[in-house]
Amino acid sequence: MDIIEQFGAKIGTLSDTNPHRARQLLTAGFRANGLKNKVAPSASTKSDRMLFQLVNRAMITCLSKPQQNVMVSLFTPCEMLHLQGLHPYSCEGFSSYLSGSMAEQPFLRQAEDTGIPNSLCSYHKVFIGAAQKNLMPKPRFILSTSLACDANTLTFRHLAAFYEVPHFNLDIPFESSPQAVEYVAGQLRQMAAFLTRQTGIPVDDGQLVRVVARSQRTMALFDRALHRRAGKLIRSDLTSELFRTAAFHFLLGTPETEAYARQLARETETAPPAQGKQLLWIHTTPYWVDPLRQLFAQSTRVQIAACDMSYEGMVEADPTKPYEAMARRLVYSPFNGPAERRIQRALEVAKTVQADGAVWFCHWGCKHTLGGARLGKKAFEEAGLPTLLLDGDSCDRGFGGQGQAATRVEAFLEVLEGMA
Amino acid sequence: MSITYHVCKYTPIELLTALGGQCALLDEAPENFDLSDQVAHPNLCGFGKSVIQAAMAGHVKELVLVNCCDTIRSAYDILKTFGQLDFLYLLDLLHKQEGCSIQHVRDQLMDLAQAYSTYKGTQFDRELFFSAFHAAPPKTGPHLAVLGAKMGHHLFSLVEETMPLPVENATCANNRSVAKPEDKEDFAALMEDYARNLLGQLPCMRMTDNTARRALYNTPGLEGIIYHTLQFCDYYGFEYAAVRNQLPIPLLKIESDGTTQSREQLRTRLDAFAEGFIPLLKGDLPMDKHGYFAGIDSGSATTDVVILDQDRNLVSKVILPTGAGASNGAQRALEQALQQAGLTQSDLAATVTTGYGRGVIQTGNKSVTEITCHAKGAHFLNPAVRTVIDIGGQDSKVIRLEPDGSVANFVMNDKCAAGTGRFLEMMARTLELSLEEMSTIGLTWKEEITISSMCTVFADSEVVSLVAQNKALPDIVHGLNQSVATRATALFRRAGGETPCMMTGGVSRNRGVVSAIEEKLDQPLFIHPDAQLCGALGAALFALELS
Repeated sequence: MDIIEQFGAKIGTLSDTNPHRARQLLTAGFRANGLKNKVAPSASTKSDRMLFQLVNRAMITCLSKPQQNVMVSLFTPCEMLHLQGLHPYSCEGFSSYLSGSMAEQPFLRQAEDTGIPNSLCSYHKVFIGAAQKNLMPKPRFILSTSLACDANTLTFRHLAAFYEVPHFNLDIPFESSPQAVEYVAGQLRQMAAFLTRQTGIPVDDGQLVRVVARSQRTMALFDRALHRRAGKLIRSDLTSELFRTAAFHFLLGTPETEAYARQLARETETAPPAQGKQLLWIHTTPYWVDPLRQLFAQSTRVQIAACDMSYEGMVEADPTKPYEAMARRLVYSPFNGPAERRIQRALEVAKTVQADGAVWFCHWGCKHTLGGARLGKKAFEEAGLPTLLLDGDSCDRGFGGQGQAATRVEAFLEVLEGMA
Repeated sequence: MSITYHVCKYTPIELLTALGGQCALLDEAPENFDLSDQVAHPNLCGFGKSVIQAAMAGHVKELVLVNCCDTIRSAYDILKTFGQLDFLYLLDLLHKQEGCSIQHVRDQLMDLAQAYSTYKGTQFDRELFFSAFHAAPPKTGPHLAVLGAKMGHHLFSLVEETMPLPVENATCANNRSVAKPEDKEDFAALMEDYARNLLGQLPCMRMTDNTARRALYNTPGLEGIIYHTLQFCDYYGFEYAAVRNQLPIPLLKIESDGTTQSREQLRTRLDAFAEGFIPLLKGDLPMDKHGYFAGIDSGSATTDVVILDQDRNLVSKVILPTGAGASNGAQRALEQALQQAGLTQSDLAATVTTGYGRGVIQTGNKSVTEITCHAKGAHFLNPAVRTVIDIGGQDSKVIRLEPDGSVANFVMNDKCAAGTGRFLEMMARTLELSLEEMSTIGLTWKEEITISSMCTVFADSEVVSLVAQNKALPDIVHGLNQSVATRATALFRRAGGETPCMMTGGVSRNRGVVSAIEEKLDQPLFIHPDAQLCGALGAALFALELS
């Protein structure tokens, strides 16, 4: 058993007997990881190092400062929370961290043992299990949206009842229209009133304009980085894409995320010419699959040029109308509406970054992604983008099949390289 | 006239009828999803796949879907691209039921009316609209209800067939009840009222506020609930998780995959649940209490026979491989048991059959499920036992007992070999060990190894790779024992298991697995020398009571 495996096993055991101690140990582990990455960073670029520290801090805070914590679903706009000095965190982020600590199994089992369906997305199952075992501290309240999947509706309602904390849910119409934006903007105003009731601090609309403007600038910087990276070599790894997903969702609107996006845009300008193959990745990455992690780690043979969990936020909006701007981001998100929208957005980005191929990762339990898989492959290939459908699980080692997953990706890569 | 199919209770059936449509709930259970699997990922829920399958098979030409869940949204996307339907529409239903949501649904209804009217070439007929509202009469008197994910006629007919009381199908799409709106001249105003009433139904699990669903559990005369979930449908699993320990009436959870295959696989569970509602066997048949009583347990791997005398003394016991046919296997085992006791068929006053093969065995006066028989047998062997963990060749189950030995609750593993005797057999073959060696070698482990794959096939690959890494056999086997024990204790918790606990079935002879389960439960397991015969023993005891 290596040290991380031992650490994960210890978290699992302690969560049965002394969840408070398990939480302290987990926090210490995250802090140690942060320190290790300061002293001997594994990421080769400054932006990736900034990204890691940004997300790592958020994960430490969610365990160590429960009085300021707000549990959110990934697509919930968090600008108002940042403005009020609260710390949002999502189930995808926290569960990824538990999985990275090799501690996800006992929490998955805990959720399933209480009747939670085993076909639920494993990010959500781990999150529920960690709540039930008291590893996660009770949040002040919960915010969620019906975007982008049914699991959000279910998990956060379940957890609000479990913790007995207030819950506000944003209902996003499937159809995109000015009326839909108006409907969601109205709910965001209700959410502001909800926050005011919970914290006793009114949401300052003037300040909110400033924070939403920062979100817009951050997304514009990332968009610029995507455009500039075409034909460039940006070495990275599988975990960076997951960190980016956190940064461009629940950490969007913070000065640190803007600084990261600016650094990334700067680096893409001066990056050396491209080497190897550039992939477009759909959904999250199964970074726990060792042979895959090794294949992508700082590789010049293959890089993920864009991942649709992090580039979905670029929606033109007027920040002086902050509620409408946030509402537009939700209503016109590629994850809302028909699969066709997600597919078209992916094709645009593939063109922008000059991707050589695409991997549509069919994460276990994500019906939204599974539902679009065959349609995506058909559309991508008709547009000349070779596509691999890869079944797996981004969070649960119990899914198994590490060798099979790596063989498929490598064989696909060989096809792209013209060897097959 | 073609039929316009729908899949959700929020579908505006009255509006479609008023525009000349003939509407029906799409209720097809295919044998498999071969056509759906050609265009959709297989891990979508069975209900959604049955919709895709029916459309791809050409059984459906007009389909009105509602934005119910990820799978139905995906079915819409897929059929829009691959289906060859004459009319396909997706109604956008919000999750909230008040204010702006009603106006949004009103607008949606008006859009649908326009599209459908254009397709049909008809106009809105007010009289047809109002006459299309039908209030379903509530069930009165003692009855059972099926709740949860949609259960089609194919499976529901089995439920009705097996249950001793009338059953109401209140699953998704079935418990529709829309109040008639007030007659208003203005179409938009009428549609707004109609939208309000559609949304005002007893909510389904997708709605933000679903607290009104509690009414489903508090219906007068409700004696028990069969809770149905569908593979890859998450909505109703959450409701089951919320209510499973809070109901004062019996609850059975069953899961199906939406195909016809589920029917027979679920029969045993339904039979066992039904057995809890009837005073079992007493007075069924006029029998002689003198003589000998046989119990035959026809399992997937072995057929076990127990013969008792009238004083409940065990006079004969036989365990034989089932072989090719359950009926022949049972006959051979019974003959051997009779021979062992020096008896003939005519000495048997009564015979009860149990196990998977019970339905096809010709011998016997009655058949009882192995769940009820295991409970009976376990109670006989040790009346203090409150839970039975039974791990056999094909399945594993946990049965919680009432103090009198009747079944309080039970759970079974689903269609998967992981955690069963078959899993251990496969792993023993991979490791080139006999089952006896598998049973003990893991007890001398030194290094903790976790077999993380829950899938038998992937676990096999993992074991091969551990062998390649020169990991010690005792450590690998210990990892496998832990994996089986994890599954078993998960079932134990799901059943609300209590101690003392007995283990039965073939795997109860595997010392490594027993030790791993004991460690996880932090309790010793009671293992009787006749543990493997528990089902047959229970059946023989029931035979004795046939008088």
